[in-house]
Amino acid sequence: MTAILVPSGRLRPLSVGSRRLSKPAAWALVGLVVAVTGLAVFARQLAPYNPIQPVGPLNLPPLSPGHLLGTDGIGRDLLSRTLIGIQVSWLSALVVVASGLLIGGTVGLIAGATGGWVDSVLLMRITDLFLALPGALVAIAIVAALGSGLVNTLIGVAIVWWPYYARIVRGEVKALAARPHVESARLAEVSRPRILLDHLLPGVVPTAVVSASLDIANVVLLLAALSFLGLGQKAPAPELGADTARALSQLLSQWWVPGVPGIAVLALSLIANLGGDAIRNLIPVRR
Amino acid sequence: MTEPVAVVDDFSLSLVRNGIRSRVLNGVNLRIRAGEILGLVGESGSGKSVLALSLLGLLPQASHPQTGGSVTVGGVNMLRAKETKLRKVRRELLGAIFQDPMTSLNPTMRIGRQIGERTHDDTESVRLLGTVGVRDAQLRLRVYPHELSGGLRQRVMAAIAVAGRPALIVADEPTTALDVTVQAQLLELLRELRDDFGCSVLMITHDLGVADQIADRLAVLYRGELVEIGPAADVIRNPEHEYTRSLLASRLSLTMPRDERFMQTGCDAEPAVRIRNLHRIFTVRRGGRVFGGSREIAAVDGVDLDIAPRESLAIVGESGSGKSTLLRIVAGLEKSTSGSVTLSGTGGPQMVFQDAGSSLTPWMSVGKTLAERLRPLELGRAEVRDRVTAALAAVDLPLEVAAAHPGELSGGQRQRVALARATMIPPAVLLCDEPTSALDASLAKSVLALIRDLRARIGMTVLFVTHDLAVARLMGDRIAVMRTGRIVEIGPAEQVIATPGEEYTRTLLAAVPEIVEAS
Repeated sequence: MTAILVPSGRLRPLSVGSRRLSKPAAWALVGLVVAVTGLAVFARQLAPYNPIQPVGPLNLPPLSPGHLLGTDGIGRDLLSRTLIGIQVSWLSALVVVASGLLIGGTVGLIAGATGGWVDSVLLMRITDLFLALPGALVAIAIVAALGSGLVNTLIGVAIVWWPYYARIVRGEVKALAARPHVESARLAEVSRPRILLDHLLPGVVPTAVVSASLDIANVVLLLAALSFLGLGQKAPAPELGADTARALSQLLSQWWVPGVPGIAVLALSLIANLGGDAIRNLIPVRR
Repeated sequence: MTEPVAVVDDFSLSLVRNGIRSRVLNGVNLRIRAGEILGLVGESGSGKSVLALSLLGLLPQASHPQTGGSVTVGGVNMLRAKETKLRKVRRELLGAIFQDPMTSLNPTMRIGRQIGERTHDDTESVRLLGTVGVRDAQLRLRVYPHELSGGLRQRVMAAIAVAGRPALIVADEPTTALDVTVQAQLLELLRELRDDFGCSVLMITHDLGVADQIADRLAVLYRGELVEIGPAADVIRNPEHEYTRSLLASRLSLTMPRDERFMQTGCDAEPAVRIRNLHRIFTVRRGGRVFGGSREIAAVDGVDLDIAPRESLAIVGESGSGKSTLLRIVAGLEKSTSGSVTLSGTGGPQMVFQDAGSSLTPWMSVGKTLAERLRPLELGRAEVRDRVTAALAAVDLPLEVAAAHPGELSGGQRQRVALARATMIPPAVLLCDEPTSALDASLAKSVLALIRDLRARIGMTVLFVTHDLAVARLMGDRIAVMRTGRIVEIGPAEQVIATPGEEYTRTLLAAVPEIVEAS
């Protein structure tokens, strides 16, 4: 039953983007993303209690005195656990997406600009191999092989994540490389590495960054799903997905215990998606 | 006299572009009479296309049009009427032909179905396609737009436009993307349609020659205002407004004086460009990977050519003649299948492309783009700056342009920047691929003059590819006529134009819309 929650592939971004956001709204959303990142970075300072120790009565509802979001089944403060959980999920998602951009971007740039057998065999068939397999399952297999734990989970997810960016970047580079400006640069005796860095890379950055920003939500969900299956953070440490999973039996009696971390996952993915849309609207259209 | 088909009455229009509202048309008054062909000329940005869209009731809502006055077709105000009413007028009274038939035909629908949307009857569709000069019309109903040539697509567009027996056909630059011979056929077709069906035609063009050939009356639009209107022959031969005169003066014709500086004949020195038995064969796959066959197309089919140092050779030909492929092989951007290209001299080949906008890297400033060309010379910073300044001055651009990005420049300025880059280190040969065909006549003329100036100054060899015979005559000491990958005629420019030896050259020349001076 739990397997239903594993994203079978990449989720389609929640698209608000067909409608253009106004500039102030876009900046406000980017501000929200920055605020969440700040919250994640300073979670330990902001958390009022130790997230692992029982600190109050069991199953206090939200808005109780001293415990803003209530407490869970063994009396741990939900606000503190959620803050630390946000820290883990959000920063992990950023790390995975950033590493994916770096690896996938490099592979895609080289493949797209070199062409020939380097492109078709060495780089793109390998990415095809990854893309042909369901990412979540491969990640689970890798984590199972390495042993559970946050770092291993991140490695597992990062390994299945970069091929998407390789594909996107390669496609963009291929389209750009066919433009006369690249041919002009070649005629102007610009060296190959310089063409790559000066005449191709800057044109790819907007697309790559936008698709990556839309992807943060997917990583948050995948990490939550893996934790939900028991593959993420080890037991007492707070993790939004795992917390939701473990307390699911309380959904009808004390809804807030699984509800608070669950809603936090929802909020994170929503903010990441909206932030991605905002960035897409703010990056000037390349002509 | 009968009622006019369309009345444009004190029509003003403003649109929002990039967040700024600007006035596009200002107090335009125009009547299109029944059965007349009205030419509308003006440079790009003069508002002629927007006027066409207004007549069709298709103003882009995204740019928040604000209108004054009225545009009436068949008694319906095309600016204010409800969409259902507009659709009825469009269906019953209007037909449209746009510049690019590839984008105005639906790529996912067979030709037959697209015409059928108006005729609802295959035999009628076949008859119409026959009328507009499409052979094997029955077979063509089954094909998709991409399977047709540009000329055929435009004919299909014309067939759709006349299908509903419209009272008015709005044709927005219908021949700009076509070769001269096809253009002549399409103009003939429009005139026939008028004679046979009695419909009026609003013919929008930037080419006064085209307007002179086809229009009964001519209207001149300048910065959103109608500056002159009258019988076409009068407007062209006795223009009243200064702008019309400058339009006429900037027109490139086959009789304009050539540049005196390059009159000396070529010397016998070693050629700057030597092309020997050059072939380029493309393999085109037909059908699927497994069952389809493949076909070989010779884009360049055995070309031998010598270009003397300091000489300028113009290659003319229609689209698909292989002239651009030849140029790209000389530039080293494309490989030849067999044969050789030898360049003597230093500096390598440099190329100026048709679309200057896309030949400049959009995120690099002009100064950086130019400085980059100097990197192989390993100069000091101050010296690079001096040479960039000098290069900008050589193409008549102000120094401030160095800080600008290509997107901030006009089309003519971009082409100047491209020229500056190509010539700041004197090239072994300057290759020009239709560098002015995307520019307005006056701009084109100044860019062509600039290329000649640069040529005179640094004495470079030029290989100039164009589809325009007037441009070829102006730019080339010799002209080579290319057809299906072969050079069919080559000789001194004046001689090829005045006494062409080949039938094909004569056909090309006959199709050029020239303004014949009334004697």
